[in-house]
Amino acid sequence: MLYSVIGYYSLILGLCFSLILIYFSIINFRNSKILDTKILSFTFLQFFFVIISFLCLVLSFVFSDFSNETVFNNSHTTKPLFYKIAGTWGNHEGSLLLWLFVLTLFILIFFLRSKNQPIKYKILTLVFQQIIIIGFFVFLIMTSNPFNYIYPTPEEGLGLNPILQDPALVIHPPILYLGYVGSSIIFSSVLAATTLNMISKNWASHIKKWVLISWFFLTIGILLGSIWAYYELGWGGFWFWDPVENVSLMPWLALTTLLHCILVLEKKLILTSWVIILSITTFLLSMSGTFLVRSGILNSVHTFASDPQRGLFILIFLFSLIFLSLFIFFFFHKNNENNLSSFFWLSKETAIIINNWFMMYFLSVVLIGTIYPIFLDVLSSQKISVGPPFYHKLIIPFLIPFLLIMAIGPKLKWIRSNLENKIYLISLLVISILLSYLIVKNFEYNFLINSILISSALYLFFMNLRDFFIQKYQNISQNISHFGFSLLILSILFNNLFSTEVITNLKVGETFESSKTKIIFENVSQRTGKNYESIIGNFSIQNSKGKVENFLPELRIYNQPNIVTSEADIKTTLISDKFIVINLVQNQDYFNIRYQVKPFMIWIWLSVVLISFGGLISLLKKKYEK
Amino acid sequence: MKSKFLPFSIFIIFFVIFIIFYKGLQDTNIYTPDVKINNEIPSYSAELFYSGKIVNSSEIFDLNKYYLLNIWSSWCVPCRQEHSILIDLANNKNLKLIGINYKDKKENAKKFLEELGNPYEKIIFDKDGTSAIEWGAYGVPETFLIYDNRIIKKYIGPLNKHSVKEVKLLMK
Amino acid sequence: MYGRKVKLRFLFIAIAFITLILSAFLVLKSLEENVIYFQSPSEIKLLSELDKKKIRIGGMVKKNSISITANEVKFIITDFKNEINVTYTGAVPNLFAEEKGVVAEGFLKDKNFFSATKILAKHDENYMPPEVKAALKEN
Repeated sequence: MLYSVIGYYSLILGLCFSLILIYFSIINFRNSKILDTKILSFTFLQFFFVIISFLCLVLSFVFSDFSNETVFNNSHTTKPLFYKIAGTWGNHEGSLLLWLFVLTLFILIFFLRSKNQPIKYKILTLVFQQIIIIGFFVFLIMTSNPFNYIYPTPEEGLGLNPILQDPALVIHPPILYLGYVGSSIIFSSVLAATTLNMISKNWASHIKKWVLISWFFLTIGILLGSIWAYYELGWGGFWFWDPVENVSLMPWLALTTLLHCILVLEKKLILTSWVIILSITTFLLSMSGTFLVRSGILNSVHTFASDPQRGLFILIFLFSLIFLSLFIFFFFHKNNENNLSSFFWLSKETAIIINNWFMMYFLSVVLIGTIYPIFLDVLSSQKISVGPPFYHKLIIPFLIPFLLIMAIGPKLKWIRSNLENKIYLISLLVISILLSYLIVKNFEYNFLINSILISSALYLFFMNLRDFFIQKYQNISQNISHFGFSLLILSILFNNLFSTEVITNLKVGETFESSKTKIIFENVSQRTGKNYESIIGNFSIQNSKGKVENFLPELRIYNQPNIVTSEADIKTTLISDKFIVINLVQNQDYFNIRYQVKPFMIWIWLSVVLISFGGLISLLKKKYEK
Repeated sequence: MKSKFLPFSIFIIFFVIFIIFYKGLQDTNIYTPDVKINNEIPSYSAELFYSGKIVNSSEIFDLNKYYLLNIWSSWCVPCRQEHSILIDLANNKNLKLIGINYKDKKENAKKFLEELGNPYEKIIFDKDGTSAIEWGAYGVPETFLIYDNRIIKKYIGPLNKHSVKEVKLLMK
Repeated sequence: MYGRKVKLRFLFIAIAFITLILSAFLVLKSLEENVIYFQSPSEIKLLSELDKKKIRIGGMVKKNSISITANEVKFIITDFKNEINVTYTGAVPNLFAEEKGVVAEGFLKDKNFFSATKILAKHDENYMPPEVKAALKEN
């Protein structure tokens, strides 16, 4: 009760501070000799009240205060404390409050960290950021207040969807939001810099830190979501091209492109328009992600609670931001690049630009695949879905030149260069081709594309490996990230090529036998958890070499809400994952069993960690690049 | 010429996208069984809770009278919260309460009514939840205000002071 | 003659334009091939000829219709007007149950038999796939 009141009024106060801040900013902007200290203190106060509000919601969850509607809808007394806390952002209202929390946190950090920037620029960034913050405040208070009462107070809550009760999913949203919201700083900053016409090399190195921060968190966020999907959804895959996954991938693609462009801008002051467009796009894509997920307009396996009323608000808000940024871009941006003439075809920037095009192409493929069904439904009311083959077909072939350019590009110098050390470039290529031939030669299916793809990925792999030892850590962050990427592609490819799967229905005590595997369903046992009952199947699985392993996949029946989930049993080694999941079909004594051997699964995760680690290093390194 | 044309066309494109998304929103993908407000009540054969008789659902409702149809279950905690409100409402002479007992065991439901009182004039026994689907219900509890065989208002979740006030207002 | 700068710019625009058209063409073509249409049992009954392409069928799983053997799961999808028999080999999602909404992806064998390659169900028990909702509403 008390917490709801405090939380609610803190929100209102936070909104008031936004308005006050804009007022002071305008005054200060006109007379901008020194930065008004009030602005900083109000920014801090705003942050403070949002924290209070957030803590109130956390406490309501911890004490299971069911007079609060959000708590009632998403919590239950029998839920473990850890998930009660996580329940705070496991729902729409709470997750928006988290957005707001990170938004205010970041603008505060931005202020503290950019002392050397011009005052006008700082103020203007603050104003744009406050516009976003106001949007979220109003959205929260009007359509999804997390502190609504219920009277009379229910004794018990409805519980959190069990598949959300998972450690990876507890930290997944906050991390992803750090990435999304980080891009909001880039957005505000780029709008401010465009308005003041101060896009420069200086600005590029200043904003690069923010690009790296959001890129890092976004990468980790996507990774966590993917890991969760892998072991919780029971399909044994890690990426399904599901719309909700796509909406997190799109900002990532835009951000990665931006990261590379910023480097070019920092060195050469070209591509300014491109950088502006990308910065704007990144944030707007993150916002559209929220819109698409929260409004229920998309048909996805991951959308949980959604509400069209809210969708309408985000839609209008999103498009106001789009029109605002279009307006600023077209009316304030003056192209002061001077040096198209100094463009030489064989240079680092050409490589970056070409790969930029590829990235944009991948982005448009994902975008079209995601929103085409919505468009078609509206225009011709035909219900369709776009499946993974669409993405595979359009993306995979273009990965080949993409990988090759990624391998050669960093070897080139800025502005103009010749390839040196041609011998090792070519010898590595030959080695990669031979190696990939050896790997794929037993496959008749899609032989050509697989072998070319593997050789180009191997090429990138070797090039980076060599640099790692020879170049003496000259450009270690780029090196690690690119190495990680080659490893990612390789592990995904091997994972797809060499995965095996058995799906069968067994009764207790029965045995499934094929040439490669023998699955014995030994028995079932029961166990009681804190808020669920579980049935545990006991399987022994013998592989072709006669080695027997024991698996204990679980079927959980949660009490509130009453939902059944499958908990896969996964045995992970460096070489492969063995994955088994069971499910009970209604009123039948057969268990549905899915057993998969997935090679190099762990390397997919590790390589993404490597990719983001590269970003982290470059963030921590004082002097970037040579 | 060219410099004006490009921004303009981009504005237009985004505007069109906006319209399409807006239209897409009208027809969202969440399963909210149609809130059949001002719609005719469904007609189907229903089993009565105590007598076990099969009747047509529309026979239960007379014209020119207000009915409050309440979907409940003994296992549903919010229903328990809301029950005292229903008992109060049952004292109102102009309003008749009809219950739909949703996915419940008869013994439990009887015990529930013995314990907390029975505000309902009639109860439809909906063992497998099909009745609730006919009504386009979300879950339990859910309440419909009916007049002249039409649904005037629908309440998702337990009734509260506010909704009771509204029901009384609507009946005037 | 044009200067080098202008030439470069032309080249740049031309390449950009060509790639744009090329990728648009590729994307559209691929969309056409890989889009999966959704149909309800009633719509299938009305088909004059069978589609060889992969489709999705949605509706409710009919009561008491699920039967399971070692190799496959059989059930009936209904939209309360027409029905279709589905055979399926593969992993069954948790929320697959009788009288719940379901979407099956696969190929039509004839108007009464469908062989599914994938069954989709949602994490949310209250959820009804939109297509199913629409299909049920029509009746």
